[in-house]
Amino acid sequence: MDLLHNPEFGDKLVTLMAAFVLVLQIAMVGQRSLVMNIRLFAAQSFLLGAIAGSIAWYNHAPHIFIAAGMTILLKAILVPIVLERLVDRIDIHHEIAPILNTPLSIMISGGLTLVAYLVGESFYHPEAGAASLGHNTLAVAISVFLIGFFMMINRRKALTQVLALLTLENGIFLAATCLTYGMPLIVELGVFFDVLVAVLVLGILVYRIRESFESMDVSKLRRLRG
Amino acid sequence: MTGTLLKVVAQLVLLLMLAPLVSGLIKTLKARLQMRRGPGLLQPYSDIYKLLRKGMVIPNTASWLFSATPYVVFLATLLAGLMAPMVAADTPIGLFGGVLAVVYLLGLGRFFVALSGLDAGSPFGGLGSSREMTVSALAEPTLMLAVFTVAIGAGSTSLAEIARVAINQQWRFLAPSQVLAFAALFLVLIAETGRIPVDNPATHLELTMIHEAMILEYSGPYLALIEWAASIKQLVLMTLMINVFWPFGLSTAWSLSGVWAGLGWLALKLLILSCTVVLVETANAKMRLFRVPELMAVAFTLGALALISTFLF
Repeated sequence: MDLLHNPEFGDKLVTLMAAFVLVLQIAMVGQRSLVMNIRLFAAQSFLLGAIAGSIAWYNHAPHIFIAAGMTILLKAILVPIVLERLVDRIDIHHEIAPILNTPLSIMISGGLTLVAYLVGESFYHPEAGAASLGHNTLAVAISVFLIGFFMMINRRKALTQVLALLTLENGIFLAATCLTYGMPLIVELGVFFDVLVAVLVLGILVYRIRESFESMDVSKLRRLRG
Repeated sequence: MTGTLLKVVAQLVLLLMLAPLVSGLIKTLKARLQMRRGPGLLQPYSDIYKLLRKGMVIPNTASWLFSATPYVVFLATLLAGLMAPMVAADTPIGLFGGVLAVVYLLGLGRFFVALSGLDAGSPFGGLGSSREMTVSALAEPTLMLAVFTVAIGAGSTSLAEIARVAINQQWRFLAPSQVLAFAALFLVLIAETGRIPVDNPATHLELTMIHEAMILEYSGPYLALIEWAASIKQLVLMTLMINVFWPFGLSTAWSLSGVWAGLGWLALKLLILSCTVVLVETANAKMRLFRVPELMAVAFTLGALALISTFLF
């Protein structure tokens, strides 16, 4: 049971899970089916919760456990259920129609990861010792953030843009947890509440767009111009 | 000198005998998972034996290339197999080349099979060759990226050295770069051995076949050699993945007890890897051919990420 108290192992574990978060993000760019995309997001959020949990355990910061639990409860269980019910209700299981084709999107995501690593590297100070734990997770967080942005730009359907926004938020959460070992609890709670409300409001918005335009394609909203 | 000869002979026998068994194992496991009885575990041996005794038909249009290909493929694959560590980190002919030689010996075999697919003059052959080249042109960069990731980690492209470094760092396979490289290599394994999302190994009668379309004109002993070479290639790729990424139980040098232990571990790990391949094959439907580049793009990105993260994690 030495591993449970060895911070070096904890660091490795967090890095490994962060790598999986990145892989899931790129898988989301490559995945075409809407339901699969939601499940990938759920898996990513679950891993995020696990990362927060291990940081809380290995750095003895019990208040992060609450953030970890809320991430899993909210983003890995509640939000995916809401989104899947929305998919059922508007009855669109169509494939996601990105603007750029999939191989090119995946390559661009790879490039964005590279950019994120270059940025993340400048924050790397090994001489700071244990205080710099999680610097490499910062690079992952920035790339998740950038790829989330790219996904929002690259997709036409309103619902997939909501998903992209949520992954972007995941990136921010990862950065916050890894760098600061958790923001004050009240801020965390505010952010979670924000995400929940955003998903509900955007869900209603998506439903209305679908009702009035018979499509989720946001490019049709151009007709509103005066 | 006799020691080297002994190692070469031992590994040669192991490659020749174990490869059909792995193919048979995958077939049987797949059948069981799909609630079929399936062929017996030893069916590939009987197939090879049967084909070796049969006469063969050579198309009128075929040139010398058609007859040379089975030998070239068989020998190139065997040579690649001898360069890979199987039961001990020390490879029998490791002095002749490292991981790059293995990759390109397998590439040489593929090149000849594709040429003879064109040579036979049947439209299916040309179809298969062009598809095989498309897939392999996309799979090869990924393979190289994964290989470089591992080689940078070990500081050498010699497979014996890579395996030795891996043995000394038992937990290295948990590093993100290794995990990503392993995932990329797994996708390459599926593409290169013609497994289900990319190609269907169980059909000779499908318009979307790749490997089977190229060798459609082969019969008798030539077909036996090509099929045998294909199963050896599969074994070599699987052993490479196993011994480079999880080298538990691999001994550094050849000794009698070490070899037996290595063989046991190899069998166990081959079983696990085969189960994974079977699960992937059963859980997925075959992709449309135009979707294959997407899968390969994912593999390539995984490989590129693996290489990037060697430098940054």
